[in-house]
Amino acid sequence: MAPVLSQLGREWRLQAADRWLLALFGWLPPLMFALIWAIFGAGLARDLAVGIVDLDGSTLSRHLVRHYDASPTLAVTHRFGAVAAGAQALRSGSIHALVVVPAALEEDSRHRRSPQVTVFVNSQYLLIGRLVTSALQQAHATAAGGVDAVQVLSLGSPSVDPAAVVTPLAGQLNPLFNSGMNYARFLVVAIIPALWQILIVAATVMALAAELRKGELPIWLAPAPLLALAARIVPGTACFWGHGLLYLGGVHGILSWPMHGSWLVLAAAQLLTVVACQVAGILLMLLALDATRALSLVAAYTAPGLAFMGITFPASDMTPLARGWRSLLPISHYIEIQVGQANYGLAPAAMLPQFGCLLLFFILVVPIAFRVRMLRSRGAAVESRS
Amino acid sequence: MSWYRLLAGECRAILTNPAIVLIVFIGVLFYSVLYPLPYLREIPSEQPVVAVNLDGSQLSRRLERFIDATPQVRLAARAASLDEARRLLLARHLAGILVIPEHFGRDLLLGRQPVLALAGDATYFLVSSTVLEGMNAAARTMAAEARAGQLLRAGVPPAGIGEQLTAVRLNVRPVFNAGMGYVQYVIPAVFVLILHQTLVMAAGILTAGQIGDRNGEAAGYWRRCPPWRLLLGRCLVFGLIYTGLALYYFGPALAMYGIARLAALEALWALIVPLLLAATAVGIVLGRLLAQPERVTLVVLLSSMPLVFASGFIWPETAIPDALNQAVQIVPAIPAIKAFILLNQMAADPAAILPLRGQLWLQALAYGLLAWWLLGRGQGLPSPGRQQPT
Repeated sequence: MAPVLSQLGREWRLQAADRWLLALFGWLPPLMFALIWAIFGAGLARDLAVGIVDLDGSTLSRHLVRHYDASPTLAVTHRFGAVAAGAQALRSGSIHALVVVPAALEEDSRHRRSPQVTVFVNSQYLLIGRLVTSALQQAHATAAGGVDAVQVLSLGSPSVDPAAVVTPLAGQLNPLFNSGMNYARFLVVAIIPALWQILIVAATVMALAAELRKGELPIWLAPAPLLALAARIVPGTACFWGHGLLYLGGVHGILSWPMHGSWLVLAAAQLLTVVACQVAGILLMLLALDATRALSLVAAYTAPGLAFMGITFPASDMTPLARGWRSLLPISHYIEIQVGQANYGLAPAAMLPQFGCLLLFFILVVPIAFRVRMLRSRGAAVESRS
Repeated sequence: MSWYRLLAGECRAILTNPAIVLIVFIGVLFYSVLYPLPYLREIPSEQPVVAVNLDGSQLSRRLERFIDATPQVRLAARAASLDEARRLLLARHLAGILVIPEHFGRDLLLGRQPVLALAGDATYFLVSSTVLEGMNAAARTMAAEARAGQLLRAGVPPAGIGEQLTAVRLNVRPVFNAGMGYVQYVIPAVFVLILHQTLVMAAGILTAGQIGDRNGEAAGYWRRCPPWRLLLGRCLVFGLIYTGLALYYFGPALAMYGIARLAALEALWALIVPLLLAATAVGIVLGRLLAQPERVTLVVLLSSMPLVFASGFIWPETAIPDALNQAVQIVPAIPAIKAFILLNQMAADPAAILPLRGQLWLQALAYGLLAWWLLGRGQGLPSPGRQQPT
């Protein structure tokens, strides 16, 4: 036990001497997690700018606009005299939607010609566009419902209940597993793991690069290279596992977002994820043999991780090729465990396939061992030549 | 040293640096295929939902058919109770639950306003809003039918019903990304960021690699010319390479995915030039300050995700803390992403992006001056970054 500990102690001192590694192992990941949380801290978008072209200027049109403005998600910030001016504002991005109230709206409505208010929503910013659309629809339904009820009454048929005619059936919308459709909760718990994966793989490369830079004997020429590699990554394993737990504790503890599953299962999944990422990092470094080249491979491998995780866009709607690439990223398997536990509260046994996938990354030890042997024989050849 | 020898030296340095070749020539092309890959199917459609029909009447089955017929949702399973539905949802990865209450058909006919419960798995925001949208649309169709029936039974003449039930209708028309597709939403912004990040990396790696005399060339070409020339030469060479890559990204690459390209070529040029100059200068500054190529790569890699989310196309700028918004304005990618989307996807008037273009030119100038100063300061001297950490 003692030699192992002293070896680990030596590794730790070696790596802690590098300020960059120390940052990656210490303060940088929590700081970046906090930064992501700060971006989405508001949770719900409020007062998104909406422009109005009111060609009617009647009591009814003002009634509708007041309702739109009253929605917490929306704010009527611009009023235009003509559609062209409004369209220009929409194109220049200063408003998210343009509401056009047609002329003679009130009169048409009184004569039951069912006029329509047209809204042009900027759907280039897709999610913002969706928020604006649903807020407008809700506000409009409330505003128009009142008008409808008056009209039904004016039909003069005593046997009609206006409420039942206006809304013959109601739909009660229930977002499951994320009450209030909190945007921060939905994105932050996906972005932080994706960022975590980038940090782990990159830090592993940096840890292996430290000695190459100093021109010391590369690690694969050590007496027991695989053991030396293992010892090299252990400090990182501990630190990044700590960061992962810190993130979980932060969102489910401090922010008290609901957690329905087992902390133990999640902690175990995180440990496996850290090691899987590190193994991938070692392989990339051994293939590139140069920190800069290895990091550009890391960038290609991990930077699009979030897109492939399947939270922002469902994995079931991805092409087989995309799903193939997705399965090569440890974080895609981790996120399924996280969702299964924190959101769904599934039984630990239900997570076995994902744990199996994370364990499969250990197969990478085989190509690593091959590569180490190759490098050793190449190193021996160079030495014998010189 | 002649311009010719400087430019030839730059080109050789770039082409013989495997990391730069990997990032610039292979990486940029690879990314143009990799990033759109998950989104190729554009919109989530036909999401599976489970129905809990506690009524079983003719009308309730009609509603089920309406829901199954929407493009967003398909009925994948039935459950006898809400608990069973929840279990099925988890076990079979379904996207939502529809609960039709007891006596639904009768209540609807009697005008007792039955309440449908529609639930979507909000773990996946996009899926759940798609599911709720689909089920809601079906419920509205059903409601319109029921309303007409009630009025008819109440003796209102059929001519008074028809379309005219709702006093004022709302017609929502998505514009710029009319199909609400995911590729058109994400890729234009990500492409700008890819160009920016890889250019900063490449210029930074080249610059950092030329600090000190680690290559054993005490008299590299970069030492034998004044810093301003080196700066201009580097901007010119990277600018030309990236002009080619930008033409590919804003041309065939966008076209390949059917993404709108509404900007006039001159307007695009007027943005591409300051973006490339600013990004090259940022790369030189980072290369000088960080002093080691791998550190440049690391910093740029780690900055990518925060930049995406701070750039305002996913999460509205007005919801991001002010201090953060202002802090990221120093990165050329931020105004660039906004300006390119406005021009190319939203057909904004060129006048509308003038402030953003001004910001890019200001950045090009400021980072250019900083790069010039840093290149001059370090020339011929061992850089402080080379000192071993103590």
